[in-house]
Amino acid sequence: MSATAKAAYFWRSAVLGLRHSPFVHSVAVSTLAIALFTAGLARGAMRMLDGLKDTLGGEVEVTIYLDDSVTPERGRALASALAERTGGEATWVSPDEALTRLSRELGDLADTVAELPENPLPASVELRVPPPLRSPEKLAALAREARAQEGVTAVDYGEAAVERLSAISRALQVGGGIAFLVIVIATVIITSATLQLAIYARREEIEIQKLVGATDRFVKAPFLIEGLLQGLLGGAVAVIALWAFSRWAGPRVDELFAFLVGPGRSWTLVDGRALVEVMAVGAALGLCGSFVAVGRFLKV
Amino acid sequence: MIQLFHIYKAYPGDPPALSDINLSIDKGEFVFLTGPSGAGKSTLLKLLFLAERPTRGQILIGGRNIARLRDSGIPFLRRNIGVVFQDFKLLPRRTVADNVAFTLDVLGVPRSESRERVMKMLKRVGLEHKADVLPPRLSGGEQQRVVIARALVNDPAILLADEPTGNLDPALTLEIMDLLCDVNVRGTTVVVATHDQSLLERYAKRTIRLERGTIVSDEDGIQAARRVASAG
Repeated sequence: MSATAKAAYFWRSAVLGLRHSPFVHSVAVSTLAIALFTAGLARGAMRMLDGLKDTLGGEVEVTIYLDDSVTPERGRALASALAERTGGEATWVSPDEALTRLSRELGDLADTVAELPENPLPASVELRVPPPLRSPEKLAALAREARAQEGVTAVDYGEAAVERLSAISRALQVGGGIAFLVIVIATVIITSATLQLAIYARREEIEIQKLVGATDRFVKAPFLIEGLLQGLLGGAVAVIALWAFSRWAGPRVDELFAFLVGPGRSWTLVDGRALVEVMAVGAALGLCGSFVAVGRFLKV
Repeated sequence: MIQLFHIYKAYPGDPPALSDINLSIDKGEFVFLTGPSGAGKSTLLKLLFLAERPTRGQILIGGRNIARLRDSGIPFLRRNIGVVFQDFKLLPRRTVADNVAFTLDVLGVPRSESRERVMKMLKRVGLEHKADVLPPRLSGGEQQRVVIARALVNDPAILLADEPTGNLDPALTLEIMDLLCDVNVRGTTVVVATHDQSLLERYAKRTIRLERGTIVSDEDGIQAARRVASAG
């Protein structure tokens, strides 16, 4: 009594099952493929937008305005302390340098700055925030900490922009999660329905199996493998479709976002990780569907 | 080998299918169960391989009370009992060899060993040359021989046959009955349910007659054959 022989029988029986009802199984595989393709696309889009957020988030800068009493040495010391504390890049900007920048940015209106009786701009420390600290909560904590320093009059870190980007990201995650849940439920229902048909088509075989002494597990195993194979096939079709779509749409997407992130950056929907994820999710969905079908319809 | 004590079987809303059945079948015996349609022959066979459970009573097979067997134990009981039906129950899209191998697949017998045992069994029932043929291309007698091969390939101690010749013409009926006698000669206990009286006369085996769910007679082969001959 060999376990290997039984396993070989289960796989042989599952493959035969797929071959004997090609239409029914192709419906399940197509449904799984469409669901996985959609999920893969959504996942790729989310990753792309996350990347975009990171790229735009690179501009997130905290500006710490200093009192006139703060000496340049003290200002530079504060900058290096902040750089060390956060792991970001901090520079002390003198009031003169700030005025020069303003003149440069105003362009034709620079003359108005020259007519000012005195430089109204304070000295400041500009901190380029590293990626781990770019969440609204961490930025707010950093601003509070900076405000508590002696000689600091105000802190500005573009709260609105950061919060908006984070809100978009959160909305995408929640929306993606809900969409994924709907896809999971729908595909499990469809896979289990097709396996119900397969079970019905093979009721005679099941009856004979029981007659010659098959255990419940022996009867159920090929159907579970059938579900697994459906999931893997659906996953494989989805991966091929995602790869093809990525090749077709990739250059167009790059072009679309080039104005935001600059040229030379390219997006891909299918990398090694995505392939493994899509195949694994496909296998899991197929297996879940077959578990439901076997549990509900295979009363052995 | 098989003992039944005060067996009752009732279905809700119907008169009892079996009432107070007591019988004993020895190892290596050949027994006919006979009686008119609805007498309880098939029900009695179903109780023996636990397709049904008795409402009351005890069934001992090899000394073990199977009436109390858990559902999970049924497959293991059935591996020791071959069953043959009137309607064959063959898989039409699998070859003769695959149909016979079905019993061995369930036991996890490796393919190479299985093929060897299947061919040996097909040779015994005279169908080795039809191993790769699909069942619908066989005659009724040949299909029934495949079923017998499937039931015996695992060397069960008991063979139960429910109207095994019910769908066959007289020549094929004798062919199948000869095969069942041969199986019995080799040591397998055989129980055949039939309403064909000519078989009782011809084969002169112990005959248990059922009517309306009760045993009305239990005769040895000579008594049964004489009674049928005198009635005919």
